[in-house]
Amino acid sequence: MIRPPVITIDGVETTFTPGETVLEVTKRLGVAEVPHLCWDERLDPAGSCRLCIVEVEGRRTPGASCTLRAEDGMVIRTASDKLRRMQGHLVQMVLSENPAEVSPRNADVGPTELQQLATDFGVSRDRFLGRESNRSKDDGNPLLLRDYDHCISCYRCVRICDEVEADHAITMTGRGFAKEIATPFDRGLLDSTCTLCGQCVYTCPTGALADKKMVGAAERGAPAAEQKVTRSICPYCGTGCSIDLHSKVDADGTETVIGVTPALDGPVNEGALCIKGQFGFDFVNSGDRLRKPMIRKDGELTEVEWDEALDYTAQRLRSIRDDHGPKAFYSIASGRAPGEGGYMLQKFQRAVMGSNFIDNCSRA
Amino acid sequence: MSNSIPEIEDAPFLLCVGTNMTECHPIIAVRVKKALRKGARLFTIDPREVPLARMAERHLQIRIGTDTFLFNAMARVIIEEGLVDEEFVATRTEGIEELARHVEAFTLEEAEKVTGIPAELIREAAVGYASAERAGIYYTLGVTEHICGVGNVQSLCNLALLTGNLGKRSAGINPLRGQNNIQGAGDVGALPNNYPGFQPVTAAECQEKFEAAWGCSLDPELGITKLKALDWAIDGTMKGMWICGENTLVTDPDVHHTRHALESLDFLIVQDMFLTDTARMADVVFPAAAFTEVDGFFTNSDRRVQRLRRAATPPGEARPDWWIIAEVAKRVGTPVNFDYPDAEAVFDELCELSPIYHGLSYERIDKGELHWPVPTKDHPGTPFLHEGEFLRGRGKLQCVDFKPPAEIPDDEYPWFLTTGRRLATYHTNTMTGRAEGVSVLAPNEWLEMHPSDADELELRGNDWVKVRSRRGEVLTRVKVTRVSPPGTMFMSFAFPEHTPTNFITNPEADPITETPELKVAVIHVEKAEAPDLSDYDPVFQIASRNGH
Amino acid sequence: MPLTDLQDERTAAIIDRLEGEHAPFLSILHEIQDHYGYLPEPALHEVSRRLAIPLADLYGTVTFYHYFRLEDPGPVPDIWMCESSACCLRGIDSLERELASSRQGRPHSGRVVRIPCPGRCDIAVPIFIGEEVFATAEPGAAGDLPVATSALPIETGHEECAFSDIRKEIASLEGYRAVGGYSTLTRAASDPDSAIGELKASGLTGRGGAGFPTGIKWEAVRNESSDLKYIVCNADEGEPGCFKDRCLMDHAPHQMIEGMALAGLVTGAEIGIVYLRYEYPETLRSLQAAIDEAVAAGVIGDDCMGTGRAFHLVIRRGAGAYICGEETSLLNSLEGLHPFPRDKPPFPTTHGLFGRPTVINNVETFATAAVIVRRGGEWFSRLGVGENQGTRIFSVSGDISRPGNYELPIGTPLSTLLNDLAGGAPGGRSIQGVTMAGISGGFVGAEDLDVPLDSGSLAALGGMLGAGGIIVHDDSRCMVSAARASMNFLAHESCGKCFPCRIGTTRATEILDEMRSHAGGGPCPSRDSIGELADLDEVMGEASACGLGLAAPFVTRTLMKYWPDQVRAHLDGTCPKGTCKEART
Repeated sequence: MIRPPVITIDGVETTFTPGETVLEVTKRLGVAEVPHLCWDERLDPAGSCRLCIVEVEGRRTPGASCTLRAEDGMVIRTASDKLRRMQGHLVQMVLSENPAEVSPRNADVGPTELQQLATDFGVSRDRFLGRESNRSKDDGNPLLLRDYDHCISCYRCVRICDEVEADHAITMTGRGFAKEIATPFDRGLLDSTCTLCGQCVYTCPTGALADKKMVGAAERGAPAAEQKVTRSICPYCGTGCSIDLHSKVDADGTETVIGVTPALDGPVNEGALCIKGQFGFDFVNSGDRLRKPMIRKDGELTEVEWDEALDYTAQRLRSIRDDHGPKAFYSIASGRAPGEGGYMLQKFQRAVMGSNFIDNCSRA
Repeated sequence: MSNSIPEIEDAPFLLCVGTNMTECHPIIAVRVKKALRKGARLFTIDPREVPLARMAERHLQIRIGTDTFLFNAMARVIIEEGLVDEEFVATRTEGIEELARHVEAFTLEEAEKVTGIPAELIREAAVGYASAERAGIYYTLGVTEHICGVGNVQSLCNLALLTGNLGKRSAGINPLRGQNNIQGAGDVGALPNNYPGFQPVTAAECQEKFEAAWGCSLDPELGITKLKALDWAIDGTMKGMWICGENTLVTDPDVHHTRHALESLDFLIVQDMFLTDTARMADVVFPAAAFTEVDGFFTNSDRRVQRLRRAATPPGEARPDWWIIAEVAKRVGTPVNFDYPDAEAVFDELCELSPIYHGLSYERIDKGELHWPVPTKDHPGTPFLHEGEFLRGRGKLQCVDFKPPAEIPDDEYPWFLTTGRRLATYHTNTMTGRAEGVSVLAPNEWLEMHPSDADELELRGNDWVKVRSRRGEVLTRVKVTRVSPPGTMFMSFAFPEHTPTNFITNPEADPITETPELKVAVIHVEKAEAPDLSDYDPVFQIASRNGH
Repeated sequence: MPLTDLQDERTAAIIDRLEGEHAPFLSILHEIQDHYGYLPEPALHEVSRRLAIPLADLYGTVTFYHYFRLEDPGPVPDIWMCESSACCLRGIDSLERELASSRQGRPHSGRVVRIPCPGRCDIAVPIFIGEEVFATAEPGAAGDLPVATSALPIETGHEECAFSDIRKEIASLEGYRAVGGYSTLTRAASDPDSAIGELKASGLTGRGGAGFPTGIKWEAVRNESSDLKYIVCNADEGEPGCFKDRCLMDHAPHQMIEGMALAGLVTGAEIGIVYLRYEYPETLRSLQAAIDEAVAAGVIGDDCMGTGRAFHLVIRRGAGAYICGEETSLLNSLEGLHPFPRDKPPFPTTHGLFGRPTVINNVETFATAAVIVRRGGEWFSRLGVGENQGTRIFSVSGDISRPGNYELPIGTPLSTLLNDLAGGAPGGRSIQGVTMAGISGGFVGAEDLDVPLDSGSLAALGGMLGAGGIIVHDDSRCMVSAARASMNFLAHESCGKCFPCRIGTTRATEILDEMRSHAGGGPCPSRDSIGELADLDEVMGEASACGLGLAAPFVTRTLMKYWPDQVRAHLDGTCPKGTCKEART
């Protein structure tokens, strides 16, 4: 029998699947917290930020664990003082690129990945200061904020656009410190192949990209007393993507949805959404939502109280059933509303109206 | 779908038919893209060169409405070239001899003439599909919205049966459902032929089961379909109708017909979030709570049952659908129980009565891991169907004859029109149209046509045109694009107020499913003056659509 | 909506003609640019569609290079002037003013564009107008520039290998065959193992800087089973201070061609690609002529010298990017991908060009290998000093009496090269220090000039031998400024992929700038400059993704090692050499 390959990470020996990276093994093992900024489990590892460096016994310089493939007999150390020191300095170098430590996104989505790392390493934006990289691009699209003042050139946005969405809307231009994120010919997103799916927003580790609808939404109108996040399912096509609904709760207890974020652990979408799922939620807040039942009176639909509407409906239904039999009334269930309503409607049609005259809207 | 969505990324071969997946199911397309990155082969079949086709190894640009011919020709190749999965066919199917005889006539040469796809390309697709270790078929309404929709699906299924691509991972025959809970609506029994869980109303034991559970007697006769119900309304036998969450007037083909039907009713209830065009015709309008305002479940395309949860306060006095219906039922007067404390109680009753949901509860669907059937409380769910055996014994290989579309271009109507959705406009745009900013990708309707057709008609992008069919005419703008093949134009039905596309689509339907042939109509196109939009088309007066 | 249907017939015709060639991407873009003067938008749409490269990716890739233009430059060319380490010793600020106002006898825009090192440090400062290259010795000569010529290497009195025949007019095929050239091919075809054996015995290692044993590399590719393999010659000599590969290609092109064909016959590769840096336009012409001559004579091509074996050789011209001298960036560049370095492993020997097994070596390595296989590994091996095997070429420039290329036994003391052979610093000055490996090996100060020129000895001093470029600084030079010039080049050429290098090289340059500015009367740096430099050094030197970033700290570390007083003086507001007066900006 062939012995399975073995790697030792911080003294813990474990087997691995050939092809696994040291970072993957480390995460799976849970023995160490390896920091990273350019890594996203949905993307091919890039080895850009170098924060995930680990020491490899027998090698002169550390390696980026995200791109380093595990090898049989490898001995890895993730947490020496020297590594910690260099990682701290790296975080400081990254902080120095941007105009401020505060992200404009903090109010909406809390601390960014970069800020979390700064906190973890106990460092702040006070060394290596110099020129700032990148520049904000307001291209007039209504959905995606491109505040590249806060960009750190990790290229996660470019990579998710290429590797996951395959939209290839954005790229990195130039070189070195002058590297920027741009569409072809540096125009607005609407002049590119961008489908406004928002994937780039939710991989960005600094808040350089944001959902314009959500920016400041919690403070609009009456400032929120609190915010909450509720897991739900996208109401559009039949894919069934998991979404997180962000609601603001007013002082009087009224809850309003102010934004959607993709659920990274959504079993279908694994963090992906399209323009509809990402930005199409706010029809629920439309001012023309129906607020009260209506009955046609003198030819006009007129708002009435529930009791009146229900009693009137019941009376009309009774007379149809009694005068014309069970096959003079038809029910059509929605293919978009929750299943409980459909169950109830078919039960009503069958058990109360007395026929199988029920369908749903799948035929058109 | 016979197989689950995540399995797609491990499929070595994908055959995508009549699906503009990157626009209509973008996140399923993400799985396809993952599969491609893992080295999968992708073949697409569509009259249009949709974005997915550009990612494909080969695109079979089929003449619209000739699907059955193509699939039969592919079946012939698979049989001829000895690529049949003999064991699967012998043990799990029936009708191979008949099928082999039937497809004799569907030669590659004939297929090339009928479908417009080069013979060698058809062969390549058939051989590629049949030779792959596992191959999945993915399709949408491009296959079904034809007068021969059932035949299309059956002849497509033949390919999976011949090659044993059913009952295993990353394979199968997979219709992608267009609406979030259209699968769920069927699952819960909103069908004229089935109780919840696809238990036939005509089966005595099922009827008895539901009579016992509900405490009433039930009608053993099949119901009728929605389209037939509308016909009955016109002839006066149908007196009333309750429409939940559907803008029937806009979504159904031939708007004049639908309008007439709804006007003929004595009593119409519409339950919706908005005062839709359909709701404007109602006698009673019930304000429904939105998906963000209720607890409940959606069952998606791959039979995954998932929870939605209340995250917001409904506006005014809007109420959950189930509550409204239960209240009406109680007030009509019935011995049957319609007292439910909450949505969970409704779900529990559904699960109790439906074998495919029997093992489910809100607790078990909390993380959305389960695909039905889930027959017991400890069942792990069924990501792919038909392992070992089919529900109804052997899979029948169907001998399907080719049936051309109901309408074929002629001198008066020289162009094909096909319809579908675009990425940023969902369905009739009642939802996307009310979402801020989303319309930026598609602010209005377009008649999409190939540059050569535009040249012939002396049209340029954004010109206004009058599009006429045997049923009516609409005004819209032109978009010149190579996505459309020469001779076949495209529209969505997302802008009913200005461009009610279903004025001109064809209501001719498949005789079995009664699904109308929305994918094929023939049209006449002529340049038109730009309309004065301020008073254009009084048919659909949607007042302020955008309440922000 | 994106403009997806833009078309360009001229580009379509170019693609029609070139798309069947090996790695045609760069050639297609160059032909388009040669035609239009730049890369117009419709042309890029056409390229995107035809080569199936997403437009965004193509656009990003094009912007990576110095010399691909997206805007019409107009009918008359700009004047390009080198600003890198050796040339900035020549007073380029005043030269720039003179150039702008002088006529040069040919039309130009009057705009002087500073470019990174174009590989002519021996004739500093080189000036480009269009595709013509001129030499200037000193400021004041700008009014009448001589056309640059390519000098032969300087004789050392030691036995040579790569240069052994170069003075015998071997640029022609006839001349080359007269010295026994191309005689190795028939032998390699019939007995490839013996060729590999000679290389292994010779101890030849890669001369591009990384120093991997050549015989082992070729053997690894030979052992790969693949129906398609490549031989790639790295002629992207971008390191400031290095100009030896140009000398070899200009005067002994067939020697390099033989080396590549040899590699092809030994490994089973039938396709060779020379990746030639953009800044060598004359070499492009002469090398292509040499290849054509060899093909016409049946030396290479469908049947190499009657062996029945094919070896096809093409040149692909770079477009100005130092990082493309990094072998995996170079491969990405050839493939039309964004020229970031790839992660290694896998190495090019198994996953090289288009994922195929690939031998990639530098010009000197191929040219040396050809002679080694002809004359024997043992012979070469014995040429080194002491334990060292063989010879290598050094390009010497800067403050030196006889700038040029020297081939010396490995292990020869640096001082022998500088003083005995190159004549020491001119004007009676003494040598204060030199750069190594071009610039990326940092500095060697006066006290260590006896160091033997071998990798181990240089590493012991905290630097590296690299590609053998040496820029001499006499005792009048401000070494903070010299370090700044080196670091500025690295910052300018950093690809931007990895954080340590992208940020670190820029920050190190800024810190050195601050010091110079303070010494010139500017404000005192408020930071702990030395502490920050040390921390940047550590992060870059340990955590960078490729050689550029890993080597960058050599510059500042050796500055601190040899000239701490100069650094401290700058921090105290004085430039000891008095040259930072103008640095205040």
